[in-house]
Amino acid sequence: MTSADLEQVWRRCAPEVLAALLRRSGDFDAAEDAVQEALVAAARQWPADGTPDDPKAWLIRVASRRLLDQRRADQARADREVLVTRRASPEAFLAPAADSPDGGERDDSLTLLLLCCHPTLTRPSQVALTLRAVAGLSTAQIARAFLVPEATMAQRIARAKARLAQAGARFTLPSAEELPGRVAAVAHVLYLIFTEGHTASAGSDLTDLFLADEAIHLTRQLHRHLPAVGEVTGLLALMLLTDARRAARTRPDGSLVPLAEQDRSLWDRARIAEGVRLVEAALPTGPVGPYQLQAAIAAVHAEAPSAQATDWAQIETLYRMLDALAPGPAVTLNHAVAVAMVDGPAAGLAMLQPLLEDRRLRHHHRLHAVHAHLLEMAGKDAEARAAYATAARLATSIPEQRYLNAKASRPPPG
Amino acid sequence: MKYVILIHANPDPWGHPTSRYTPEGRALAAEHHDEMDRQFEALLEELSASGEFVTAEALADPASSTLYGWSPEGHLATDGPYAEAKEQLAGFFLIDCASRERAEEIAAQFAQPGGMVELRPVMWPGGDDQ
Repeated sequence: MTSADLEQVWRRCAPEVLAALLRRSGDFDAAEDAVQEALVAAARQWPADGTPDDPKAWLIRVASRRLLDQRRADQARADREVLVTRRASPEAFLAPAADSPDGGERDDSLTLLLLCCHPTLTRPSQVALTLRAVAGLSTAQIARAFLVPEATMAQRIARAKARLAQAGARFTLPSAEELPGRVAAVAHVLYLIFTEGHTASAGSDLTDLFLADEAIHLTRQLHRHLPAVGEVTGLLALMLLTDARRAARTRPDGSLVPLAEQDRSLWDRARIAEGVRLVEAALPTGPVGPYQLQAAIAAVHAEAPSAQATDWAQIETLYRMLDALAPGPAVTLNHAVAVAMVDGPAAGLAMLQPLLEDRRLRHHHRLHAVHAHLLEMAGKDAEARAAYATAARLATSIPEQRYLNAKASRPPPG
Repeated sequence: MKYVILIHANPDPWGHPTSRYTPEGRALAAEHHDEMDRQFEALLEELSASGEFVTAEALADPASSTLYGWSPEGHLATDGPYAEAKEQLAGFFLIDCASRERAEEIAAQFAQPGGMVELRPVMWPGGDDQ
């Protein structure tokens, strides 16, 4: 078994091994240490003795023994509590088989996701802990993906675990009233992981993983647990439909290709078909949420043969619904573009006016980029170039700034 | 989103925390400085606990710097300080937070007597295709 094979097995088993331990012990730090030790033992023994038939059960058995040993040592030091784990045999930690009637294993990985996105943690900590504990990534991999030093990420994860312990967070499913809010937090964390991966793809040559893939993998898991939650289905559809454009969205030199200029033959048709199927299944079933609407918009784009042949009237309607449900400057900007495509640039420009006068949006580069685009559509080239220049000054993305600067300095036609 | 918080100040003599060595800082009572130090420690503890703190460095006296100019014939090295800067860069903090609003809320707390605090977004290699 090569170390790459070992990592594959590990990545697949780690969350379930951790969940099995947490179910009994509740101490995140101790459980994770024990899981790490089990992996070290596996790396030493498997290449020599062969991979066990059931690697997950092997890891759980070894990790739970380590956890018990640790507990006994702690107990000897401070003999003040009777712990249930002292009496439990290592086998008691083994999760029921996947096909067992009580479905204990199914619930465990959902419980682990919910614990990592516990409300006591800040969003960055939830993101880091989810990638560490549920996706099974190393601290170094997560640090590289977020372009922060490894020590910073290690600290962030350690603090998150300490905070969970302080808050007395339990490894149990939340109550029925609490669950929707907690699932919404998980969905938001997965969405953030995805957007980080999707928008940073120009820089990801340096890393050996795609956060977008991790986010899709985890969202698939969540969707398997909660197939009837429309927003989870919508989120998975949104990710698939957006990720389908991956090959078309950057040029070989790393510069960005805007949606309208992308080579649509490079779009991943299988991902699009799956995304469209999911969103079509979710939309009629219940209350429509922001992820479902964004997925529906992405589906309309995905099914258009060209930017010109896009069904802008439908996109305009969907943005109007999204604006009613989850208003914000980003929604207004996209809505204004759709309005301009349907009713002409003057109507779109009128929608931007209040935003341009809002002092809170003065650092918002996309506001000026959209403004420039609509001015260009209206034939006001000099004003458009000035707005592109403003947008370029405010942009913090290097490829976007390069694109906007090129638009700002383009000579007028003719 | 990453932001850098730049501390510009001319402490005399050069020293850290710079607010203790500026004329405006020296005019304040010791208890006032102690209180500011406590608040600053609490802020750093909060940023560290939330995962927003990335890294920070305090810089040595600008007189200890070396400046490199370029010409077609080669580079030209001279001793610092970099005279064109009115206020010297004394140190920096790199933070990683959810929004511009949050970055502004944090940076405002770095304001100090006799110095100027500058919040600048950090650029990144990715982008959106919308």
